[in-house]
Amino acid sequence: MTRDLRMRWLTPALALLLVLSLSACTSFTPNSIFGAHSQFGHIVDSLTRKLVVLGAIVFVLVETLIVFILVKFRERDGNREAKQFHGNATLEIGWTLVPAIILAFIAVPTIKTIFETEAKAPPSALQVEVIGHQWWWEFRYPQYGITTANELYLPVGRTANFALTTKDVLHSFWIPQLDGKRDLISNHTNYIWFTPDSAFAWNGFCAEYCGTSHANMRFKVFTVAPAEFDAWAAHQKTNAVGSAPPAPAPGAATDSAKGTPPVTKIATAVGTTTPAGEVAPPPVATPVMNVSDTVSATFPRNKLPEWVIPKTPTPAALTFDASATGDATRGMTLFRTAPCIACHAIRGVPTAQGIVGPNLTHVGGRTTIAGGIYPNDLHHLELWIKNAPAMKPGSLMPLFGKAEKGATPGVYTDQQIADLAAYLSSLK
Amino acid sequence: MATTVSLPPTPYTATTHKYESGLWSWLSTTDHKRVGQLYLYTSLFWFLVGGLEAGMIRTQLYGPNGHFVSATTYNELFTMHGTTMIFLVIMPLSAAFFNFLIPLQIGARDVAFPRLNAFSYWVFLFGGLFINASWFFHAAPNAGWFGYAPLTTRPYSPGLNIDFWVIGLQILGISSLAAGFNFITTIINMRAPGMHFMRMPVFTWMAFITQFLIVLAFPIITVALTFLMLDRFFGTNFYEVSAGADPLLWQHLFWLFGHPEVYILILPAFGLVSEVIPVFSRKPLFGYPVMIYSGILIAFLGFGVWAHHMFAVGMGPIADSFFSITTMLIAIPTGVKIFNWLGTMWGGSLRFTTAMKFAIGLVALFTIGGISGVMHASPPSDLQQTDSYFIVAHFHYVLFGGSMMGLFAGLYFFYPKITGRLMGEKAGSWHFWLTAIGMNLTFFPMHFLGLHGMPRRISTYDAGQGWEQDNHLASYGAILIVIGTCFFVYNWFRSMKTGKVAGNDPWGGATLEWMIPSPPPDYNFATIPNVTSRYPLWDRKSPRLTAEVPHGSAAETKIDVEVAGQKTGTLPAPSDTTGNAASPQPVTSSAKQLGIVMPTPTIRPLLAALSLGSVFIGLIMHKNLPIMFLAAICFMLSLYSWLLTPLEPEHH
Repeated sequence: MTRDLRMRWLTPALALLLVLSLSACTSFTPNSIFGAHSQFGHIVDSLTRKLVVLGAIVFVLVETLIVFILVKFRERDGNREAKQFHGNATLEIGWTLVPAIILAFIAVPTIKTIFETEAKAPPSALQVEVIGHQWWWEFRYPQYGITTANELYLPVGRTANFALTTKDVLHSFWIPQLDGKRDLISNHTNYIWFTPDSAFAWNGFCAEYCGTSHANMRFKVFTVAPAEFDAWAAHQKTNAVGSAPPAPAPGAATDSAKGTPPVTKIATAVGTTTPAGEVAPPPVATPVMNVSDTVSATFPRNKLPEWVIPKTPTPAALTFDASATGDATRGMTLFRTAPCIACHAIRGVPTAQGIVGPNLTHVGGRTTIAGGIYPNDLHHLELWIKNAPAMKPGSLMPLFGKAEKGATPGVYTDQQIADLAAYLSSLK
Repeated sequence: MATTVSLPPTPYTATTHKYESGLWSWLSTTDHKRVGQLYLYTSLFWFLVGGLEAGMIRTQLYGPNGHFVSATTYNELFTMHGTTMIFLVIMPLSAAFFNFLIPLQIGARDVAFPRLNAFSYWVFLFGGLFINASWFFHAAPNAGWFGYAPLTTRPYSPGLNIDFWVIGLQILGISSLAAGFNFITTIINMRAPGMHFMRMPVFTWMAFITQFLIVLAFPIITVALTFLMLDRFFGTNFYEVSAGADPLLWQHLFWLFGHPEVYILILPAFGLVSEVIPVFSRKPLFGYPVMIYSGILIAFLGFGVWAHHMFAVGMGPIADSFFSITTMLIAIPTGVKIFNWLGTMWGGSLRFTTAMKFAIGLVALFTIGGISGVMHASPPSDLQQTDSYFIVAHFHYVLFGGSMMGLFAGLYFFYPKITGRLMGEKAGSWHFWLTAIGMNLTFFPMHFLGLHGMPRRISTYDAGQGWEQDNHLASYGAILIVIGTCFFVYNWFRSMKTGKVAGNDPWGGATLEWMIPSPPPDYNFATIPNVTSRYPLWDRKSPRLTAEVPHGSAAETKIDVEVAGQKTGTLPAPSDTTGNAASPQPVTSSAKQLGIVMPTPTIRPLLAALSLGSVFIGLIMHKNLPIMFLAAICFMLSLYSWLLTPLEPEHH
């Protein structure tokens, strides 16, 4: 009877152990918080590892003790009488003090790290304004006069200080391999800063539930060599391709009037913000972008890691006329009077000054669209313009495809949409 | 069974009670045991509903870019899964035990306010139906159980969804508060002679602490919800960000309620396990006073840790440090409880009944939740963990591995007291192992998902992020839990008909409830017992087991208290009728025959609850004033009628 009993609980207990070990077997973890690639990441990483090790020790000790007790003191041969005791002051004081000591070992580095990571960013830091929208990210570089969306470029070795605000509900800014989360709170400005230490492409997520498409509010981060960052920034500052008329456009004039530094000043700006006496490690970035070779000065698509390229399937019901070949010039003409301009801005296009949706000045140079959930290619752009709400649940961008069914009637044929997509794609 | 001392039968066996039957008797009942069963069955029903929602969530997340449900539906599912499991399952399932057990454990004949007790249940039932009625309007709540402003304000949630949520929670809050005051009064005033506070069963103690948490924490959420209700229905600006509101107001109020709420969910389970483990170890509880003090300390500290849910909102280093330290401190009394349970088992003679397996399950699994809890008590580290699947893993170890395991232990342990029959041990064992393995298979991989960067509350995730395998495992685990639950449901209903007859004391219990027949007669105790130690029944049946615990002096045993016109005597020796009869004993004497005055059944609490609920129905129907006004009048009338009807029949 006793042996039977033992055998019976041994099998499921072993099954349980197997299960626990199985789940630890994932080797491919591109968004792991343990793969730190910034000064912030390293500090937090060493603290978290300490917690994991201590936690694992306590886990093993307590669970072993439980199993030992269950085996040793199980009822045997019917009526073995239990030893009668109901307390032991020494023991009880002991197991109050020991956890307290263990916790002290956690508390001291914790407090130290809190003050270290929540200190003010160095003044030389690159300033980035992060503005949350349902369900996309707006990024502004006030030192450079750049506004972009859903894709961040950061120079390796230079501290980036993020000022976080939101246009609507709460969001949370998270790049697992570079920093912890910081919430975007209405009527507040929050800050978080870190110094990336290697050049690569990373996934970013919204980590605070923000409504229907919370899952589809992602972004990409490219950490690049400082020279590459400068090239990117200089390019982002220029007017959109095909839009620069000989005379300065009113849009550009407005920017200058606001006091945004003109392109030529950027070099100086970068020069003065080079870290002086900063503890950040020297840039270890090996250049990935072929700056001289590409007009757009963006992260080369052929070097993008697999897990940074979105694989979201498009809705099966949403199709596009394959014979429609877009013409960028026609698309540009259409765009300038299209409803698009109510929400989107393109630098150098006087009519396009909308601020509700992402800034499209250099949209063709981005690797993704729609909050980082689709790759940025003609096909996806066309489907997106045709029926955004079908592509992304809850999308605040209405549908434009003529035959599509939705809250608002669509106005454009597939050919017109193809033209628009061709134009947007050309805005490298 | 395990009882070593056999005693001659006493009049108790002859007084087994036959319930009045019929729908009306249930609608009008004021008997705490029947109200407890109403809570029990209602919350078990919602457990199945909440489990169904969980199953749909796991189906959606089985693979990348899942399209089993839409994003909108997914958001409703995870909101309702959380809301259901917290407010409609764990809390009322604990309330079922409060109702059924507290009077039995303290030697009372009912709760202090039997009608208020019935009212609590009906309001709870109504609140649960109200919040779930939203499904039929395609407007289930969809802003998470935490309902962060400003997402819950009209501009961002114009539909009925949040209306159902905010009003539903208000209704449930009324129920919890009414019950809380009732149980506090009951425990303070209605303990049997000799039952000092430090002789109270640990479950009653934990229930007592929980009631204080409820009456202190629920007013806070009531205020927070009232603000939101005023914003949504009457145009105020508490959370209206366009008018300059600070959304952190909601977060602070919500978590100032929300963290004590966590202890409201876990302390009753701790109490149940503290009843189960000593009985099946054949030993008194190790460190009884420390168990009580640690419970009080947990509850006290529980009000000073709320902002550890908010480390990512940017409170600054001082606040982060403060809440980090208080959170770590709370781990100490919790750890003490774990070790004291182990101390109870140490040297015992452990009997692995299903109840005991679930109790050990709590000890083993809650430990895991506790360890991960300490990990995110460290703010810098928490910035990586918060709002990721690591947190989902953590609180499911606390609430499923902790609360649900403890509640299941309680269900198997007290099923014979409730129904008069034992639950099947074989099916129970299947239930336990499938649940334990399924639970670990579902939630352990979620630790890794979180550490590998998967955010919470996402309706879908992209392929190639390294999350596929662990999500597969989690979904397989959910299947095991579903199968385990099927065993539970089958076992529950089959045992009701064919289970072994339990008798008064099937487990060799130590506390008063095992002294009386199963199921207990409506008056519980024919004679109010006199209590001489923490383990009054072991004092009689197995005195050796309580030789070491403190006992009252001889003078105490002479206490005579008049209850309902009868002098109480000393505790009569109980009988052991386990397995002797083919079915529970037939009734021979009623409360009336014994001259015991019991509260008369009345429909008035139900009428009051219905009319109160109708006020809220009027509110959600776009502030339909005639309905609200009419319902308010009905509510007042039913209260008057309630107050003007005597609680008990006239004394003779």
